[in-house]
Amino acid sequence: MFKFIIKKRQAPLVWSSCLVFFGALVLSLAVSAIMLALQNKPPLTAMVLLFNGAFGSLLAIQDCLIKAVPIFLCSLGVAIAFRLQIWNIGAEGQYVLGAIGATWVALRFPDLPWFVVLPGMLATAFIAGGLWGLIPAVLKLYMRANEIIVTLMFNYLAILFLDYLVYGPWKDPVSFGFPMTREFSTSAIVGKIGHTQLNWGILLCIFSGVAIWIFFKYTRLGYELKASGENIKAARYAGLPYHRLVMLVLFLSGALAGWAGFLEASSTINRLQPSIVVGYGYTAIVVAWLARLNPVSIGIASFLLAGLRVGLEHLQLDLQVPAAFGGIMEGLILLTVLAGSFFVDYRVSLGKKS
Amino acid sequence: MNPELLIPLLAAAVQSGTPILYATLGEIFTEKSGILNLGVEGIMMIGALAAFVSAKFFGNPILAFLIGGCAGAFLAGIHGLVCLNFQGNQVVSGLALTILGVGLANYLGTPFIGQAAPGFSPTPLPVLSKIPILAPVFFNHDPLVYTAYLIPPAMWAFFRYTRWGMGMRAAGEYPRAASAAGLRVAGYRWAGVLVGGYLVGLGGAYLSLAYTHLWTNGLSAGRGWIAIALVIFAFWHPGRAVIGAYLFGGVMAFQLRLQASGTHIPSSLLLMLPYALTVMVLVLSSWKRQGTGVPSALGINIEPSE
Amino acid sequence: MRRAMFFWVFICVFAWGVASAADTPMKVGFVYVSPIGDAGWSYAHDQGRLNIEAMDGVTTSFVEAVPEGPDSERVMLNMARKNYSLIFATSYGYMDPMLKVAKQFPDIVFMHCSGFKTAKNMGNYFGRMYQARYLSGMVAGAMTKSKILGYVAAFPIPEVIRGINAFALGAQSVNSDVKVRVVWTKTWYDPATEKEAAKSLLDVGADVIAQHQDSPAPQEAAQEKGVYSVGYNSDMSKFAPKSHLCAPIWNWSSFYKEMVEKVQNGTWKNKSYWYGLEHGIVDITPMGSMVPKAVQKRVLAKKDEIASGKAKVFVGPIKDQSGKLRIAKDTPADDQELLGMTWFVEGVVGTTQ
Repeated sequence: MFKFIIKKRQAPLVWSSCLVFFGALVLSLAVSAIMLALQNKPPLTAMVLLFNGAFGSLLAIQDCLIKAVPIFLCSLGVAIAFRLQIWNIGAEGQYVLGAIGATWVALRFPDLPWFVVLPGMLATAFIAGGLWGLIPAVLKLYMRANEIIVTLMFNYLAILFLDYLVYGPWKDPVSFGFPMTREFSTSAIVGKIGHTQLNWGILLCIFSGVAIWIFFKYTRLGYELKASGENIKAARYAGLPYHRLVMLVLFLSGALAGWAGFLEASSTINRLQPSIVVGYGYTAIVVAWLARLNPVSIGIASFLLAGLRVGLEHLQLDLQVPAAFGGIMEGLILLTVLAGSFFVDYRVSLGKKS
Repeated sequence: MNPELLIPLLAAAVQSGTPILYATLGEIFTEKSGILNLGVEGIMMIGALAAFVSAKFFGNPILAFLIGGCAGAFLAGIHGLVCLNFQGNQVVSGLALTILGVGLANYLGTPFIGQAAPGFSPTPLPVLSKIPILAPVFFNHDPLVYTAYLIPPAMWAFFRYTRWGMGMRAAGEYPRAASAAGLRVAGYRWAGVLVGGYLVGLGGAYLSLAYTHLWTNGLSAGRGWIAIALVIFAFWHPGRAVIGAYLFGGVMAFQLRLQASGTHIPSSLLLMLPYALTVMVLVLSSWKRQGTGVPSALGINIEPSE
Repeated sequence: MRRAMFFWVFICVFAWGVASAADTPMKVGFVYVSPIGDAGWSYAHDQGRLNIEAMDGVTTSFVEAVPEGPDSERVMLNMARKNYSLIFATSYGYMDPMLKVAKQFPDIVFMHCSGFKTAKNMGNYFGRMYQARYLSGMVAGAMTKSKILGYVAAFPIPEVIRGINAFALGAQSVNSDVKVRVVWTKTWYDPATEKEAAKSLLDVGADVIAQHQDSPAPQEAAQEKGVYSVGYNSDMSKFAPKSHLCAPIWNWSSFYKEMVEKVQNGTWKNKSYWYGLEHGIVDITPMGSMVPKAVQKRVLAKKDEIASGKAKVFVGPIKDQSGKLRIAKDTPADDQELLGMTWFVEGVVGTTQ
């Protein structure tokens, strides 16, 4: 009889990580295609439609880039937390708090010029999102509360707080009682680049990506973070400031997600309303896990997942595939990558059962 | 709020807490064996859908209930496969399972929205339903609530007195030593994942067979996550899980009755109550106790032995 | 001879050209804010869409569960780029995005539901559901014994508030001390929460449950307790045969057909279409057998009055919850007031937040 012999590799295969990723992607797409076929939707047409819809034209690529911006920022934050083995599931709520913070500035100071208002919004979004991440950190460090649950509950609280604001004190007086704030004045809106639909938020992405990369590569704190992530007990033993790192990491995580919220509220919707919540925080978890910590790979993964969302709309429009299909694909991709990573870390061979 | 509402509120708490109780008990079972399964929300949704569809096709609610559990176990099995065989990170696998499970349920369930299926109705227990005060709160519900009363003591006895139960606890507390002593740790963990997933699936099935007789997208509405939190609140003890689940059910029922009584508090703020309560309860539980009962090897994959 | 031949060839080619142009079906697109399976708002619109899909020379398509904001803009842009000739967007939050897209595609007709902005090629439309709500309120008011009506409502937006007010006014017209208690679920379709909300209203003594929700869960709750209920969106009597009195429902089929025909023959105008009972966009289902014949007669008579324009629902004097007079005596409220209604009439217990 044969059995599988599994040995851990001395060093994980590097180039095969990419192979695994693409293999997983292909497998997920195949399973999704089968599911479509089972529902009598033509699978090959669907896959072609998915790709074309996402990447098939300049306009499509532009759509993907626009969508990738908030996903990128949230993912960057979540990835930082993951590096320290902190499971920040709260990116969604931190995103909302950032939007709320920025909106406060926009509504309070509509008449100030843009070079005062926009930095103000940037700052409040950063702080608001950061605080929303910091509170779970404190609860974790001083009361040993599991951050997975706390950050998740904070998502619900944030969304309900947003509801309270737009149905109540911040409701727009001219929108016939619908739950939304006043439209932002032009000084509070992050503008579009030239004639494209892209907004200047892309600069924020580049800035954050570079800043984080420098942080991890060249600063001491960054090094401590990486080291602590690999082996928390050893790091503590070596005297690394675990507490401070946790707080920093969750604050940063929340702050970056907060910036994503600021951009959505300011540039894409030009006001605050409940529909700003579309699940970027959860997609960010998928991206962060797929891309580990390299800002470039996070960028690519964000772009791909944004493409998934954009392409899916075409599937909906042309093939009447229900909207829930997106969740299936995201979940499948994550699971297959997880399973596939096994082959990167372990060597499998056949051997005889003794 | 009117004091006359207290008894109906408690009764509502019991019923509202029942799906959460099933799920919490299931997750306790899984975590005791050392596996962290965050996919509870997804499993509940799949269980709910499977149960609903089975009820429609077979017309037998009891069979449908059991099938709901099977569907839950099946989905949990994917988590088991990824974590136990492919050494996948348990946290991420669980999250992926949630995303997949919810998406799958919503997708496959689309044709069934707006349809009715046979289910369970309140059946008062013969003698017990005459006891004043206790009766309307505990003994005037559908049969699945009564079944839920039986599971916690059974689980407690299982872990305390049976060899399998102790083996499972060993798999969760000191897997390497247990393995060295000859216990099949992987086997116990698989049992933990599958049986736990089964119970969680039952919790979901409760939602579509008894709590309502309907199916729509998002039926579980976050209950799965509450269950995971309640596992910690319960210190991994089935008895305390009961308290947690009914408490939580009570809060959800409470804020609605507060609205019905005509309060002026904005509903968004009232809706925060269950989640805020979960955080508070979690923080207080984790803070107070040293060695809270968490299985020591929870969430850690065991390297495959050579 | 040759000239005749050329003439006939020309006619044939011309006819063939016209025929193929007519063969290219008109593409009509729909944007929904929730899944069509929600058995509620989007479902009702989709039923209307299916009706025009059956028309000759028309193909339709839809995208569901589109979040308001930039996603909807992209969806509509896609439809426009794919040469759809008529696009319907069925939620308030699609208004600004639709306006932006309409400006870029002046040859396409855009119709926005439940909003107020228009453009040269964009109109808006809605249905006077409150008329049907008023009628259902009359039925509820006639059937209640405890004089407390429970209303399970989703979100405190004007159309829901307007519906509650109309329901209350209808009930009060047959039974002046009726109170309507409101519970907000903050969800359009979560059967578990809706059922619990209905139960909480039953616990405070309501004996008729009405809803502005998309699932029949509140009906189940009423049936289990043995009291009455009023459905919504579709006839929900199969879920609660003993309780279901009637249900205000949408019927978009005739409206969508009318719009398609108008666009096809070029008579479409970019105005606000707010049709009601008279056009059949809203209606109430046949009342259950538990409703006495006298009551049914009275309600149907009122329905005819409203449909013919003889009676209006929101005509003063109408006071709000705090006792302030909002609509003066004998004055009908104008459409703007109705579209932005965020206050409850006297007799409604609950917050508008």
